Amino acid sequence: MRNDFKPIITMFHCANALKGDISPAFPENELEIRSVRLPCSSMVKDVYLLRAYEDGADAVVVLTCPEGECRYIDGNIRAGKRVKRLQALLDEIGLGGQRLSLFSISPNDDDAIGQIIRKTAADLVDLGPNPAMK
Amino acid sequence: MIVGEQKTLKEIKHMVAQYPKLLILGCGTCVKTCFAGGEDEVATLASALRLAFKKEGKQLEIQELTVERQCEDEFIQEAAEAVARNDAVLSLACGAGVQDIARRFDRVPVLPGVNTTFIGVLEKPGLFTEECSSCGDCVLATFGAVCPITRCAKKLLNGPCGGSREGKCEINPDIDCAWQLIIERLQKLGQLDNLRKYVSARSWRSGNAVGPRKLLREDLVV
Repeated sequence: MRNDFKPIITMFHCANALKGDISPAFPENELEIRSVRLPCSSMVKDVYLLRAYEDGADAVVVLTCPEGECRYIDGNIRAGKRVKRLQALLDEIGLGGQRLSLFSISPNDDDAIGQIIRKTAADLVDLGPNPAMK
Repeated sequence: MIVGEQKTLKEIKHMVAQYPKLLILGCGTCVKTCFAGGEDEVATLASALRLAFKKEGKQLEIQELTVERQCEDEFIQEAAEAVARNDAVLSLACGAGVQDIARRFDRVPVLPGVNTTFIGVLEKPGLFTEECSSCGDCVLATFGAVCPITRCAKKLLNGPCGGSREGKCEINPDIDCAWQLIIERLQKLGQLDNLRKYVSARSWRSGNAVGPRKLLREDLVV
């Protein structure tokens, strides 16, 4: 990884999975977290995810409620299917489907969010910067 | 509705690569309903193409526009300004829409971004099923509104082939036997006697066997 690589991670999250902002503290010089709050994770349209990469994201994470706990019954399942489809499209684009991931979290579980961010940042060490931003 | 499916990104990328300024033109009717060519699909495809070309260090200027219908001149005209500003049009309409756009703007290359698949219905969310072959001589009244021409793999008009198993077609077990559906439906309607009538060999002249068809409504011609 380049020494000057400061990963940008965009996180789309269901407002019910995470009521406030993403709070786990990370040194600002190490990575940049952008968060997009949605009424339900199923609101992540394909184009929202792709535009996050156009806007410079190196990785995108979608946070959903656990299965069976979606306020809108199957919103998290829909989000999961959309993410799977987009991963295939990212492979076809040449960015790599590994730059997009989905995790289910219990409401406001800061520890889990911290782990997800650390894992995503660690994955980016191998993946490197968004190749469309060269 | 006319059901279509977007071509692969690889195929589209190859088609548009030589045009630095591209208009992606969506259609807000059938292909929007089947998630192949409405506003959302235009936006997603534009974003995917920009990323794919940027990754290769190339710039592609993309304009996005969706008109209500690409198969009617009245709506096509709304795209005139955008078409004039670009080197090519990638149409996400059905084949009819692509050709109508090309007819209207004869100096601009018009490329198809969608494979037009069939006339069908939304059977359930995400599943589209072919139900009409546009044969030009509808026989649905006889067959309880189940089309044996489209939905029977053998296009039989005088009863089932006898090969179905548990209501499924022997050619493709994923589809229902049309004749099973016809008989069940006619039984419910008390119209099973419809099947006593012999259906003679069809003339396919009403279909497109003799080339593209035209439909003229004199009362609408001014």
